[in-house]
Amino acid sequence: MSTLGQLVLSGIFLGGIYALMSMGLTLVFGVLRVVNFAHGEFLMVAMYGAWAITFYLGLNPYIAAIAVVPAMFLFGALVHRVMIAPALDKPHLVVVFATMGLSIFMQNVALMAMTADLWDVPPMFARSVTIGPFYFKAELLIGFAVTIVCTILLQWLIRATYLGKAIRATVQDGEAAMLMGVPIPRIFLITFAGGSALVGIAACVMMPLFSVFPTVGLNFVLIAFVIVVLGGMGSIEGALLGGICIGVVQSLSGYYVAPAYGQMFYFILFLLVMIFRPNGFLGQKGAANIGINE
Amino acid sequence: MMPRRGSRVSVFELALLAVFGVLAIAVLPPTMQDIAVLTFLWAGLALAWNLAGGYAGLISFGHAAFFGIGAYASTILFVNLGLTPWIGIWIGGLIAGAAGAILAVICARLRGPFFILSTLAASEVVRIAALNWATLTGGPEGLSIPPVPGLANMVFASKDAYVIMMLVFLVAVFAFTKWLEGSRYGYYLFAVRDDADAASAAGVNPLLVRTVAMALSAGITGIGGSLFAQYFLYLDPTFMISPELSFQFALLAAVGGLGSAVGPVLGSFLITPMSELLRAYLGNHAAGLHLVIYSGLLIVVMLYFPGGIAGALARLSGGRGKR
Repeated sequence: MSTLGQLVLSGIFLGGIYALMSMGLTLVFGVLRVVNFAHGEFLMVAMYGAWAITFYLGLNPYIAAIAVVPAMFLFGALVHRVMIAPALDKPHLVVVFATMGLSIFMQNVALMAMTADLWDVPPMFARSVTIGPFYFKAELLIGFAVTIVCTILLQWLIRATYLGKAIRATVQDGEAAMLMGVPIPRIFLITFAGGSALVGIAACVMMPLFSVFPTVGLNFVLIAFVIVVLGGMGSIEGALLGGICIGVVQSLSGYYVAPAYGQMFYFILFLLVMIFRPNGFLGQKGAANIGINE
Repeated sequence: MMPRRGSRVSVFELALLAVFGVLAIAVLPPTMQDIAVLTFLWAGLALAWNLAGGYAGLISFGHAAFFGIGAYASTILFVNLGLTPWIGIWIGGLIAGAAGAILAVICARLRGPFFILSTLAASEVVRIAALNWATLTGGPEGLSIPPVPGLANMVFASKDAYVIMMLVFLVAVFAFTKWLEGSRYGYYLFAVRDDADAASAAGVNPLLVRTVAMALSAGITGIGGSLFAQYFLYLDPTFMISPELSFQFALLAAVGGLGSAVGPVLGSFLITPMSELLRAYLGNHAAGLHLVIYSGLLIVVMLYFPGGIAGALARLSGGRGKR
């Protein structure tokens, strides 16, 4: 029983971190209706940033967030200006292939600059944390706490601020929002850059738990897509729920079944959700019907 | 507006492809012939991908699964049961085509990014299955075809034979694509891609049209996979069913020009030799440089010439193209 509890709780905490990594993706999708296939590579770049600051300056990855998060915000703004914004009024395919190209581009630039080696940061905590009969890595708990704080802040931002109101108006009816004086292009820019900044936070939280290498994004982006679809594209709470689901599935199947098959489970789960509930658990209605040809 | 399309392969196009074939055999040294083999094969596969992605609007990032299914089917039949690949490639194609049809039916309701992600997820399921079902697929160690040359084995000592084999595959897929464009079914495809509701109102069954397109595309991709297996003589699931390979089919078609028969061929003829040569010359000094150039080109083409090279050429020659 205590093994099961340990597995479920570890799964929840790990899933929370996955959710944090997926929030930028779901936000960008919800507002711009664009799937950023380079999302995983944004994470990879941010992880290298957190690693470099830890390695060269001797700081810890959590402090690195002070530099990494604004840098990712600027990077997101740049990518939006150069690639995403010009592609928005073109067929949907253009964004798909352009972000796909960006993903391969960033992977291989990283391969040339950093080689294929795996890099880690040194462990920061000597012992794991004991809660009742359970043991957890301190990094895992910190990551989960950051996720919860980010979820609450994002909800507050979207519900209570003028920016959030403008974002919601854009999502509900872009044209009407524009007529009311909402600067849509700037909302898109801020959302995309903000989504990238969220990836920066996720990277700093993940660096103590995972190694970084040029194709690390590919592993995580598939999980992120599964989570975003499970939770419903565009939904922050949905991403948290979806992340926790995937974390628990991964944790349980890693113990009771071979880890390789665990990966298969969540792809099958993804396909089942796509077939039977294409809007996810908490998603907007009709999200699955946004066609390529529109 | 739909411009008139040629429904047959023109003599000029055939002659041009034949010239490439003759040049590849007569002029290229054997080490370079590998590039010709891959150029022709990837061109055929980009055309196959284009049947679903360009003509039916079914953008798949999971075609490597069909490639792998075809390759594994013919190889397992050959190595375990001694069935000649001349029959095996068709069985591989049929199984891959059936898998494509099933995927199209499962994903019938999905559009845009959701369809794309589902194809990616489905191919990951196939890859993980192939990696773990070791008794059938050899697992991570892969499968080898005994390198015993012979016509019945479809294994050849000379690269010339492979150049011809892949060129025949390319010409066959090209001719089929051209024929499809001018056929009644081709028009159903365009109708469903451009406006499924209107097509449905006009009495076209979108689900059926999409399923057939996916099955054809997947089936041809499966045959291509079998041919690759006969050439490479070794199957490794981490390459054969990788997302990277799926992207490659899609990117060649997209850079060349979606929804045209010439586009994917142009894409492969331009990019495959360039990326193989760059890989060969720079591989050890700058791993990944060829992909940096390749993907940079893709971004530029997508943003400035969404119709791909074929679309840009058509625009240059006086707007005769589709886009």
